[in-house]
Amino acid sequence: MGGYGDVQLLRDDGLRLDGRKLDESRPVSIQAGILPAADGSAIVTHGLNVAVAAVYGPMEAHPRKIQRQDRAVIDVRYNMAPFSTSDRIRPGFNRRSREISKVTAEALESVVLVERFPRSKIRVEIEILAAEAGTRCAGITAASVALADAGIPMRDMIVGVASGKIEDTVVLDLDKAEDNYGQADLPAGILPNTGEIAFLQMDGDLSPEEFDLAMEYNFKAAKEIHEIMVDALKARYDGGDN
Amino acid sequence: MVELVPNLLRQEMARLAEQDARIDGRARFEGREIILETDCLYNAEGSAKVTMGKTVVYAGVKFEIRTPWPDRPSEGSLMCGAELRPVAHRKYEPGPPSPESIELGRVVDRGIRESGCIDMNSLCIIPGEKVWGVMIDIHVLSDGGNIFDACGLAAIAALRTAVVPAERFDVGEDYTLSVNGTPIMASFTRVGGRYIYDPCEEEELGGDERIHITIGDEGHLHSLQKGLRGVFTPQEFAEIFEVAQEKCAELRKIVAEKEAN
Repeated sequence: MGGYGDVQLLRDDGLRLDGRKLDESRPVSIQAGILPAADGSAIVTHGLNVAVAAVYGPMEAHPRKIQRQDRAVIDVRYNMAPFSTSDRIRPGFNRRSREISKVTAEALESVVLVERFPRSKIRVEIEILAAEAGTRCAGITAASVALADAGIPMRDMIVGVASGKIEDTVVLDLDKAEDNYGQADLPAGILPNTGEIAFLQMDGDLSPEEFDLAMEYNFKAAKEIHEIMVDALKARYDGGDN
Repeated sequence: MVELVPNLLRQEMARLAEQDARIDGRARFEGREIILETDCLYNAEGSAKVTMGKTVVYAGVKFEIRTPWPDRPSEGSLMCGAELRPVAHRKYEPGPPSPESIELGRVVDRGIRESGCIDMNSLCIIPGEKVWGVMIDIHVLSDGGNIFDACGLAAIAALRTAVVPAERFDVGEDYTLSVNGTPIMASFTRVGGRYIYDPCEEEELGGDERIHITIGDEGHLHSLQKGLRGVFTPQEFAEIFEVAQEKCAELRKIVAEKEAN
């Protein structure tokens, strides 16, 4: 966390700086099938974040050493566009994007029916076009919708959500200022139908009680965002041009 | 997919060319519909999205303050780069920038730079100490053919909406970047033996060499690039140059209309 300074993040009326309630998410909108070259794709706008995901495959897994005899491997690349942040990012991988790519791949491998596609590879490309705290979660949500759009069988979709702590108060879905000056961040990838968790990270300081409340907020948000994900897929395939 | 059968595709292209037809039904010099959106990326100081058929491209402009080159103490700098990331097509692999993406970025860069639409002296903050570095980053999200024209259009449209973030860098108030001109690129690919404008994915796959022409507001050439294997005659160039003039004027009008709204 950026540190607990003297920055005020809660207003006197108990609401957050942008007027949200403690358990209120930023607005989310999702569109499926937006990249014609890909087998499946989605764009997720979560507050000011914009995440695009493209799925290619299942295809031959190469180099051969990554092949698994009994299942498909999911090859995820999370990348921030150079213009996605306030200060330009030099193009290319860094330690942060490598770690996010790795844990995202492992989360997706937990829901995709990978055993259906032995020795193959499914490529998931996540591109962040605008970043304002919460891009890994928006990326996971986008990747799930893109996988569904590509017709890849899954046990469930994963919804990327996050809660955190600001001014000793648990809140849902930290924005940029709250992330920079808050005390904790708890991003999670939730399977809305089974109630399981496929992705979890945390940094900062949370008591066991605060953790429970933050996860309660995360499950509530996952349910809301899941409906938007389903609607996006329905809009794409209900009499749409596919 | 079609990658497996480029030879069959080439035969089909030759057959279509005999009837003066194209695989997607367009006329020889007919472009696809272009959708231009500007100011569409929150953290970029200028941005644009271009959709042309199955091609989707974003461009974003960022600024940084840097020390000027010693021999040009009052000139800022402009840099344009393109990324062909694996998101854009199954044919693109992860890794360091490919020769293709470097060529793409450099051709777009030359067209904008050489048109003189940015006065490098206007990017000076304190001579010899501080100048603006302007960076245009092009992000290809879906390669459905002719990404060169899409990137060129996205880059200039993004640049023309850019606001210099002087406040954030503590060097005065924000102001709109002064851009004097709208250089536009038109690209042609030899398909079935003759040049066509604005190739789609199949035409690039079943075609030969390509020519990229960037033209400024006055109709002057600002960058040329011949790519891939193949040769052409001066007569062939004269024909497509004339078409390019017309196409660039049309695209320039799209940019102007977008700005007027």
